Amino acid sequence: MTQSLTEITVTRPQRWDVPFGDAMRDADVDELLKIEPFASMDAERFPAAIPLRGILKNDTRVSSYQDGDIVVREGDYGSSAFLILSGTVSVVLEGLDPEALGRQSPEKQSVWQSLTRMWKNPRLPEVRSQFTSSSTLVASDRQPVADLAQTRVFLQDVPRALAGARSVTLHTGEIFGELSALTRTPRSATVLADGKVFLLEIRWQGLRDLMRRTDALRQHVEQLYRENSLRVHLRETPLLAQLPAQQLEAVAEATVFETHGNFEWHATFESPAVTPSQDAIVSEPLIVEEDSPSEGVLLVRSGFARLSHRYGHGHRTVAYLGKGQVFGLTEAIESYKAQQPTPMRNSLRALGYVDVIRIPQSVLEEHVFPAISESLLAEVAKKHAVQCSHHHCDVHDGPLGCEQGRVDPDLLEFLVERRFINGSQAMLIDLDRCTRCDDCVRACAATHDNNPRFIRHGHHHGSYMVANACMHCVDPVCMIGCPTGAIGRDQETGVARINDLTCIGCSTCANSCPYDNIRMAEIRDRSGAVIFDETSQQPIHKATKCDLCADLAGGPACQRACPHDALVRIDLGNLGKLSQWVNR
Amino acid sequence: MQSFIKRRLRNTALTVAALGGFVAWKLWRESGLCATSFDTGYALLAAILFLALYNFRKKLPVLPWTTSAGWLQLHLYVGLSTAVLLGLHIDWRVPNGILETILAALYLATFASGLIGIYWTRTLPRKLARVSEEVIFERIPLLRSQVRDRAERAVLEAVRSSGATTLGEFYSDRLHDFFQRSRGLRFFLRPNNRLRRQLLAELTEVNRYLSEPERKTCEQLFALIRRRDDLDYHAALQWRLKAWLFLHIGLTYPLVAVASVHGLLAHLFDGGAL
Repeated sequence: MTQSLTEITVTRPQRWDVPFGDAMRDADVDELLKIEPFASMDAERFPAAIPLRGILKNDTRVSSYQDGDIVVREGDYGSSAFLILSGTVSVVLEGLDPEALGRQSPEKQSVWQSLTRMWKNPRLPEVRSQFTSSSTLVASDRQPVADLAQTRVFLQDVPRALAGARSVTLHTGEIFGELSALTRTPRSATVLADGKVFLLEIRWQGLRDLMRRTDALRQHVEQLYRENSLRVHLRETPLLAQLPAQQLEAVAEATVFETHGNFEWHATFESPAVTPSQDAIVSEPLIVEEDSPSEGVLLVRSGFARLSHRYGHGHRTVAYLGKGQVFGLTEAIESYKAQQPTPMRNSLRALGYVDVIRIPQSVLEEHVFPAISESLLAEVAKKHAVQCSHHHCDVHDGPLGCEQGRVDPDLLEFLVERRFINGSQAMLIDLDRCTRCDDCVRACAATHDNNPRFIRHGHHHGSYMVANACMHCVDPVCMIGCPTGAIGRDQETGVARINDLTCIGCSTCANSCPYDNIRMAEIRDRSGAVIFDETSQQPIHKATKCDLCADLAGGPACQRACPHDALVRIDLGNLGKLSQWVNR
Repeated sequence: MQSFIKRRLRNTALTVAALGGFVAWKLWRESGLCATSFDTGYALLAAILFLALYNFRKKLPVLPWTTSAGWLQLHLYVGLSTAVLLGLHIDWRVPNGILETILAALYLATFASGLIGIYWTRTLPRKLARVSEEVIFERIPLLRSQVRDRAERAVLEAVRSSGATTLGEFYSDRLHDFFQRSRGLRFFLRPNNRLRRQLLAELTEVNRYLSEPERKTCEQLFALIRRRDDLDYHAALQWRLKAWLFLHIGLTYPLVAVASVHGLLAHLFDGGAL
């Protein structure tokens, strides 16, 4: 490390500077290379920069669990998959009591701690204390993200806790947890250790690199993903929840799993400023076309789909469907009653990418509808119906599988066009109330290294602006390319956060974010000197973005600092909440 | 009922009830021949100190207690109540004496600036939102210079490519100053689109004398005039919103200081209360 008054040079952080947990020894890696699936992997197919040994050494860790230990909890956000090295685990297929699972409210700073931190904040922006005395990173600055040292939870009295709950046993050599690791979604089931078990935990970046260069592993993981996703989703569907196990199994057998669009949609996403909106709709992958005969029901597994209706020479957005929502139920019921296919009233298109489960009409007619009373069927059909006139489309309360609010169609179109529906904590500003006082910006800076983590600017529709602040997306595509796993979801809250310690400043996340909500910031040491890479002599950057003030007791400082109720952090996927806020 | 209307009704009812209670208490005290000027004075001073605290609350965004919007609601209704408290304190007479007059003038200025603030913070954002572009106040000078550079470049290019100087002359006579200079205090105090309409009309007039390349540049100038005017409009209204707050907060400190001196003197000349 060299230092001058205005600059300091250090070695640029690299992908494997901070390994996943305690570093694996070479002997451990040798052992892993003797077992499947690693034994059959061709090391030659891995590039020199990311060798197979390097992945196993730095992106994996071996953990042992005792009987009753919880390996993963349903609902937690995970960024790793597990390979069972020895022993067995139980996958609990039904929700367990949150208290038994050791769920606690996330730890917040006390008022005193918050004030002290604010007082101690360096006056200069983006100061990193770890660079004051050494070029190596100091553990005391480590942030509680990226699941590096999770506390283990033990489930007491396992037989009692699992009484009546269906579970599946997984054995040595099997993989689990890949679903949430690869799809950036919460864990769909709780997994418990059955006796003493040794697991190899693979950071998702490592799993992704292994899958890229090993066809067999990729196919195996994809197959697991499809099977697990299907079973879990069918269980969660209200229409099928009451079905006897045998009939549910028949439905599962006949159900088709489909993926539409591109999983890495952000790479090809063009803003509506570039693509005219009508062209954009037509270019979206079509799942079901309006007026085509009803062929069954579609359940959205993940991602988003646009429900649209022909209007003039274009298509008008009626609603958007997210996880858990149903499409085509009214038409399926009408077809069943009329004993002939009914034409679909709306089209369904993938927004980015969407996973859907298709239950064919014949299966519904054979196993599902006969088990439901006539009156209930009529009620369900009415509830899910979408009525469209020349001027607008009416979505009844509670259709499509969840609550839909009444939002101005143009605002809806704006949110869908620009994919803002992906935001679970978007910053929405009512420009009719915002006095542009910047109290929100100052509050953010005061709580984040004297540098605000958002820009009070962004796309707006009428008097509503979606500011450039991290929206903590349902599908956080920013995480896809991160080589170190520095950007990850908080296990408990799902808030997307950046581990400053492991961020190497490669800008991949900032470039991946379709909303331009991640900024690369030059960092300084405590004296104010800008930190440079000693090799390239370029300033070292760190990715910065809104962390939703996860440590603050009162929640996001920006929202609490707004004197005029003009700013809100809101789930744009929830039309009910949005319409409530808009129509205050 | 919409939530803002509900909130307004609730807060108004609470304020009226609290003030009614205070007046009743004062009358009850007076019926017992008790002097109430210290009671009303302390109540007024406490209210003013509470109002001044709001600015300190804004400086501590980490505090979890209430939101800034909640504080503002209290600030507004307590602020409005001070007018009644002052009236009760001075028995609805006109203050006399130098200190009392200064104090009353400071109060009136602060109160009036507060009322104007309520009006402006409720009306100006709507006007700003109607402008096609949303801009950050600090970036306006940069955006203005970009607009000016684009206009100059476009005109120079038109003169170079067409060889005609009609548009160039018009630019230097009528548009150069518009793009180059600030709009002046009068526009900042009372922004209007008179100059914009005038310049657009003149540009439309001159359009008939232009060559084809100049006409294309003329179209660009139409858009740039509109953009520059929008930026000036944003600058004027946003400046007003900031300047008002600066004045309102600035008046608070002397008000608190003079009110405290007034209280101290009242005790000193009260005949032994201290």
